Amino acid sequence: MNELIPLMVIVPLIAALLISAFSKFNKVTKIFAFVVAICLPLIPLLSNYGLHYFGGYEPILDNVTSFVYHPAITYSFTFLQQIFIAMIGLLTFLVIFVYLTKYKEVSGPYLFLLFLGTAAVTAMLLTDDIFHMFVFFEILALAQVGIVAASSIDYSYEMALKYMILGSIGSPIMLLGIGFLLALTGSVNVTDIATAVHNGLVDATSPVFLTSLGLIFFGWLYASGLPPFHTIKSGIYSKAEPHGAALLQSFTVISMISIVLIMHRIYSTLPIFEVLIVFFSILAMILGVSMALTQTDFRRMIGFLAVGELGFIGLGIGLGTNYAITAGLFQALNEIIITALLFIGFGAIVNATNEVDTRKLGGLLAYHPKVSLMLLIAGLAMAGVPPLSGFQSKLMLVQASLNCGFPEISILAIMVSIATFVVFVKTFYVMFLRPKPKELEVEGKEVPRAMIFAMGILLILVIGLGLFPDVVVNGISSFVGGIL
Amino acid sequence: MKLYDQIFDVVKQFKKLFSPGPVTNADVSGSITAEIFLIVSLVLSAILLRHVNVLLAGLVTFILAIVLISNIPLIPKFKIEQEDSLEKMIFYAVVTLSIIVVFMYWGGNLV
Amino acid sequence: MAQTQLAILLTSVALVVIGLYAAIFVDNIIKKIIGISFIEEGANLFIVAIGYKAGGVVPILMPGMDTSWFASNAAYPLPFGLVLTSIVIGASTLAVMLALVMVLYRRYGTLSTKVMLADTSKQEEYNE
Repeated sequence: MNELIPLMVIVPLIAALLISAFSKFNKVTKIFAFVVAICLPLIPLLSNYGLHYFGGYEPILDNVTSFVYHPAITYSFTFLQQIFIAMIGLLTFLVIFVYLTKYKEVSGPYLFLLFLGTAAVTAMLLTDDIFHMFVFFEILALAQVGIVAASSIDYSYEMALKYMILGSIGSPIMLLGIGFLLALTGSVNVTDIATAVHNGLVDATSPVFLTSLGLIFFGWLYASGLPPFHTIKSGIYSKAEPHGAALLQSFTVISMISIVLIMHRIYSTLPIFEVLIVFFSILAMILGVSMALTQTDFRRMIGFLAVGELGFIGLGIGLGTNYAITAGLFQALNEIIITALLFIGFGAIVNATNEVDTRKLGGLLAYHPKVSLMLLIAGLAMAGVPPLSGFQSKLMLVQASLNCGFPEISILAIMVSIATFVVFVKTFYVMFLRPKPKELEVEGKEVPRAMIFAMGILLILVIGLGLFPDVVVNGISSFVGGIL
Repeated sequence: MKLYDQIFDVVKQFKKLFSPGPVTNADVSGSITAEIFLIVSLVLSAILLRHVNVLLAGLVTFILAIVLISNIPLIPKFKIEQEDSLEKMIFYAVVTLSIIVVFMYWGGNLV
Repeated sequence: MAQTQLAILLTSVALVVIGLYAAIFVDNIIKKIIGISFIEEGANLFIVAIGYKAGGVVPILMPGMDTSWFASNAAYPLPFGLVLTSIVIGASTLAVMLALVMVLYRRYGTLSTKVMLADTSKQEEYNE
C-alpha cells in the first residue's frame, strides 16, 4: 500500500487547513483534531516500505550513460523514516492532547501551526528532492515562528522576530547552495546529484562544489541550532508554551537529521565535510552545556541542554562509520523523547507555580511527587545513566569515536555527559529538595492528568528503548548500510 | 598567590552575572563547574589538532591553556557574547558564514 | 559564458553582499528587513540565471518544432519553476516579519533594533 506514503504529509496538511477554516465550531474542531492526531502515528506504522513518484513519473534510464534519472519528486519510505515519523506523530498526538484538555476554547490557528509543522518535518524526512526539502524547511520555519509568537510568555514576539530575521539570512544562503548544485548537475534530485558526483561527472574538488557545501552547511547550522545559532534556538524553546516547546525541539532534531543525511549522500566523498560537522558539534556541546550550567531560568536551561545534546547527533554523523552514524541517529530518536518529556514536565511545574526562576523555587517534591520523579528519570536519561535510553546511544557514540581513533572525542563526550548530570542534580536540588522559600506560593492546583499521561507514555519509551535498544538499532544500522 | 587571589576574585565576579537578584550557592557552584568545564573541554579539543600536526597541537594546547587560565573568570565574558540581542546574533552568524565560505572556496581541498 | 549571464551573476552576488551588510550595520528594523530580503532576491536571481541560455527560445514545445533543435536551443525550465516557489515563500516570510514589526512598534514606539530587539534575558528574570 504505497498510497499511504504521501498521505503522511497530506493528512496533517489538510487537517491544518480544515481546522483553521472551521475553527469557530469549537467542539467539532476538538474532535476532528483529536482523531487526526491519533491517525498520525498509525499511518507510518501501517504503511509498507517503498518509493512514491509524484505524478506517476517513473525513473528514466539513459541508454547512453546508463544512469537512471528521476524526473518526479520522489518520496522514499524506509525503516528510518517509519520510526521517526511514527515518533513525531506520537509526539504531535500527545502535545495536541495536552493542549485540547488544557483549554476549553481551542484556537484554530494554533492547531493549524502544530499540524503544519508536523507535515513539514514529515515531508523533509521523506523527500529525495533537495528543493522540495528547502520548501518544507521554510514552511517549518514559519510554523515554528507562529508557535513561539502564539505563546503568552513575555517577550515571545521579540524572540519570534529575531528567529525570523536570522532565518531569512540562513535559508536564502541554503537556497544559494542548492542553486550551485543545480548549476553543476542540472538536477535537484538527491539520488541524481549523488550519482553525478560519485561517477565523476562533477569535479568534486572544484571550488564551486566546495562552496555549495559551505552554503548548504550554513543553512543546516541554522536549521539545527548549532553555534552560532544556539542562543536563538534555546531562546525560542524558552519562549514557547511548554507543550509547544516539546514539539519545537523535535522539529529541530528531525530537520537536522534529514538535511544532514542528504548532505552526507552528496558530500561524503569530501574529507572536509566530516571535519566541519565534528567541529561545530564539539562547539555546540561545549557552549550549550556550559551556558546551561549558568542559567537561572529552567526553561532556558533545558533549551541550552537540548542544543548541547544536538552535538552528540552531529558527532555521530561526522565520524562517518556505519556504527557511528547509527549511534547518532539513535541518539536523535532518544533526544526527541527525552527532551519532550523534560519540556512537558517542567511545563507542569510552571503551570502549578507560575514561576520560572530557579532561585525562587524549592520544596516542590512534597507537592508534586509524581512529576518530580518522572523529571528525575528523564534528567538521568539525558545525562546517560544506565539502563535508560540515553545511556545506550551515548555508549555507542563513545565506542564509535574510540574505534575511529579519536579518544579525545570520547573523553569530551563523557565530560559533557557529566556536566549534563551536574546541571540536573543542581536543578533538581534547587527546585524539589531544598526547603521551600517563604515567598513561594504553591497554588493548590493539581497537575493536569493529560500531562501526567503524556509524560508516562514518553517515560515508558525511555525505559523500553534503554532495555531493548536492538529493536531500533538493528533497523537503523541496516538503513545506514544502505546509504554508505 | 596571585592565581589564588584571582580564583577567589572569580566568585565575587559571579555576583554581577546573576544581578538583579540574589546569588545562591547552587548558582555559584554551577558557574564554577562551567568555568572548569569550559577550560578543560577547550584544551581537550585543541589536542584534536594532533591529527594535523603533533607539534602544532602541543603548541596550541599549551598557549590555549595559559590564555584561558590567566583570563578567568571566562563565563561572564562568554555569557555577554551569547546574550539575546539581535545585533550579536547576526554578527556572529555573518562572521561564521564568511569564514565558512572563504575557507571552503580557497581551503576546502587542504584537509 | 555569455556577458548577460555574467552580469546577472555579478548582480546577484552584489545583492547578497548588500543584504548581509544591511543585516549587520543598519539599525532601523524596516530597512534591515528590506536589506535581508535582498539576500533572498539575490539567491532567486542566481537561480534564474542558471536557466538562461544566450539566444535560446522559450521552453514550450510548439507543434511543428523539430524536437532535437528544441532540445539544444530551449532555455532550461526547471530553475524558473523553482524560483516561482521560492518567491512565494519569501513573500510570506516577509509578511510575517512585517506583521511582527507592527506589533512591536506599537509596544515600543520606535523602530530601532537596539531598543526593540535588545537582550531581554536579564529584565524578565527577576521581576517581582
